[in-house]
Amino acid sequence: MFDDPSFRRGARESSLLFFATGAFGLAYGVLAVDAGLSPWLATLSSIVIVSGSAQFAMLGLLPAGPVPVLLSAAGLGLRHVPMSASLAEMIGLRSIWIRLRLAYILVDETFGLTVRAHNSGVEDVVAYKTAADLVLYSGWMLGTVTGAWFGSSIDPEAVGIGVFFPLLFLGLAVPLVHERRDLLVAALAVAATLIATLTLPQAWQLTAAATVAALIGAGLGE
Amino acid sequence: MSDLGLILAVGAITFGSRITFLLRPRSAPGGAVGRFLELFPLALFVAIATSGLAAPNGAPEVTEALAAAVGGVLGAVVFRRSLWGVVALGAFAFYVTRALFA
Repeated sequence: MFDDPSFRRGARESSLLFFATGAFGLAYGVLAVDAGLSPWLATLSSIVIVSGSAQFAMLGLLPAGPVPVLLSAAGLGLRHVPMSASLAEMIGLRSIWIRLRLAYILVDETFGLTVRAHNSGVEDVVAYKTAADLVLYSGWMLGTVTGAWFGSSIDPEAVGIGVFFPLLFLGLAVPLVHERRDLLVAALAVAATLIATLTLPQAWQLTAAATVAALIGAGLGE
Repeated sequence: MSDLGLILAVGAITFGSRITFLLRPRSAPGGAVGRFLELFPLALFVAIATSGLAAPNGAPEVTEALAAAVGGVLGAVVFRRSLWGVVALGAFAFYVTRALFA
């Protein structure tokens, strides 16, 4: 596997992700402990969930209780459904173990790289994605462990680390805007969120705003 | 529910959503449902960004986080929609504004 050209290409093209996700993992570790999780639980959450968005959302909604956290996880997980359909088409018939492994780290960043590699004719999509996943996962775990166990001296508010979280999502949203309809959905999401912050309990604001914006966008047709 | 139970439940939901089509390959949903699934991530990401940058304390207000939003959008234009361009320029705008008005 390690000698496979596709594996090596995946490792090479995702190398920057190690540092980038490491930085966000560090922020997550610090904020998780700051939010009340023990370093063990913060580490375990990165092992079990492997989703920056779901994990950061969980931290933000912890004070609101388990129901909003679970609803938010379900809402955030929605985006994986079309991603898994697309990946299933790319890899074709593979063993259940390979499919389970690929699903475990089905994240935006390595999925995006894999789609690009597939479209450019990479020989073995599974080897490519496996390498990219390993690089990303190593950075995410190393960052989380460092932040959770050794980040107590960092005051997230004083450092302003919290601003990186919404900026990350802004950065993830931008490449998803391809046409005028997408821009309209983004504008609707901004407006709906601002209205929701004034009218709804915190736990429901994001899911409600995103659902309304996406429903209107879907209703507009192609 | 304990924190451990919550983490395991979030992990199960996340993995469940990821394995949906990989478990038994089939075609993706089409029509309005397909369009909704396609647009939901964009709407959700924008909602999270808006909440954190325009209403960081629970209600809309003008703070240095709003400068980060402006910087982030500028970063998207300057760096051709690069994720890290958005984060870098957004963070730059945030810290400059903070230094000027703190």
